[in-house]
Amino acid sequence: MESRLKAPAWAAQMCGVWRKRKMIWLAAGICAAAAALICAPLLMIPGGALMDGAEMKRILAPVLGEGKGFAVWHLLPFYPTIGHFRRLLIESPAFYRLFWNTVGMTAAILSGQLVVGLPSAWAFAAFRFRGRDFLFGLYVVLMLLPFQVMLLPQYIVLQKLHLYNHPAAVILPAIFSTFPVFIMYRGFTQIDAGIMEAARLDGAGEIQIFLHIGLPLGKMGIQAAMVLSFLEYWNLVEQPMAFLEEQAQWPLSLYLPQIGISQAGFAFAVSVVVLIPALFVFALGQDALEEGIAYIGVKG
Amino acid sequence: MLWKSRRLLFLLPGFSGVMLFYLLPFLEVVRRSFLKSGNGAFVGTDNYRAVFENGAFALAVRNTFLYMVAGVPLLMGISLFLSLLLRNLVLRRRLVSAMLLPMAVPAAVMVLTLQILIDRQGLINGVLKNVSEKMAALPAFAAIDYLNTEWAIVVVVCSFLWKNTGYMVILWLAGLAALPKEVEEAAKVDGANRWQSWHYIIRPGLSGSFFTIGMLSVLQIFKSYREVWMVAGSYPQEQIYFLQHLLQNWYLKLEFDRMAALTVILSLVLLAVCLLLQREKSF
Repeated sequence: MESRLKAPAWAAQMCGVWRKRKMIWLAAGICAAAAALICAPLLMIPGGALMDGAEMKRILAPVLGEGKGFAVWHLLPFYPTIGHFRRLLIESPAFYRLFWNTVGMTAAILSGQLVVGLPSAWAFAAFRFRGRDFLFGLYVVLMLLPFQVMLLPQYIVLQKLHLYNHPAAVILPAIFSTFPVFIMYRGFTQIDAGIMEAARLDGAGEIQIFLHIGLPLGKMGIQAAMVLSFLEYWNLVEQPMAFLEEQAQWPLSLYLPQIGISQAGFAFAVSVVVLIPALFVFALGQDALEEGIAYIGVKG
Repeated sequence: MLWKSRRLLFLLPGFSGVMLFYLLPFLEVVRRSFLKSGNGAFVGTDNYRAVFENGAFALAVRNTFLYMVAGVPLLMGISLFLSLLLRNLVLRRRLVSAMLLPMAVPAAVMVLTLQILIDRQGLINGVLKNVSEKMAALPAFAAIDYLNTEWAIVVVVCSFLWKNTGYMVILWLAGLAALPKEVEEAAKVDGANRWQSWHYIIRPGLSGSFFTIGMLSVLQIFKSYREVWMVAGSYPQEQIYFLQHLLQNWYLKLEFDRMAALTVILSLVLLAVCLLLQREKSF
């Protein structure tokens, strides 16, 4: 037994050092550094949004192809201004159009997913019927496929239904996305089967069981699905790009890259406005989000 | 019997939508992949042959494969390493949340900062130049044009890691949490060091997670198109022209024959990945 458990000398030595309590600080340090590295690029955004256009032009001149040397950045602007926000929020009526497009699309998709996805998830979790496993496997495959694979199929059906170039072209397929069904299903499977059995024996109907047991106890999965969907659809790019020709119907997420780096300050201001709701949902729904991601990986 | 049919009503609305928007049109694409799009004449496997003989297809397959070979092991390795470190930290929740933040950042926002960072005269090159000037021992610094040279693939892999590390850390942590704590503690009592408990207890216990996370990482590769497209457009540097670009560009050029064939080919490959995933996990 002793010989089987032999490790390389260097590894054993490393681990010996590791065991010391102090080394936990090293682990924390590495993880904190990784987290900081991941978050660092975002630090540019608030400063950029408040930076005067002239200052921005000066420090970004090399990137804009107007100067030698390298760009620099000021995390805190030397000449702060709310000019970009004024231009965006007061002087750009088109912005509101796009903003409400995004809000409307996201709201329509999320509520649609609740209406059709929630009962589907419940059906998979609570009932055994013929073909259930096959069907559920199909749902999982659909949720894992990239959008590009469904691009042509959806184009064909949207053409047939005369929905091309209509917001419904983005909304309807998203409503029937199988991903939220999967996440909500996972939430429901956490419910103890005995509770449902007991309710059935006591004469509860299927709808009652769904409303009074499924919904309250599967709350975490529902929240997780909504948070994941919000972050996904708030940031739609490919679908509107493929199916919406008129810019007036676009969501903000597709408009933002059109602004271009020559108006970086304005683009940063738009970024702030796009980011705030996403960060808000992220912060509020953090537990649900992490739970939802973990659902994807666990056996069951 | 009535209650049985009422049960199916739960599934019916969702399922009919899935049929209408996903399954039936997909079958239609399978059918069309054997037809000529103008007149609908049966052409056998001509469309498939056209795809395989296409130069852009060969390029895209090669690039997607290289991207996968570089991206998946790096993502898995880094996220596993971080989650092993994170596992016993008090601050775990905070740090995981910070790593997950990219999920909340719209692609366009990230692209804006990326453009400033990686431009040939951007911030990263500026910092590198400063460093190389301060340390005389280093060779003279030549500014790298990240997006228009072979470095493009490095940029794409880095943004893939940036975006997905937090996600995978959560999956690893879930796998680690499912391991029975007693075994590890018993081994510790018996004098096993960290290397031994990793080698003999944690690693074998995580074998299912390895597989699942590997397959999910592969699928994430195929899902990363947005950022690449936004930074580099429809026709990026040769090395970062992926299968997703090819499908998207054929769509814009209305080349539906070849697109149908490619859709079928790609979905078969991804279906194989998904089936492997499901067999392992019994979803």
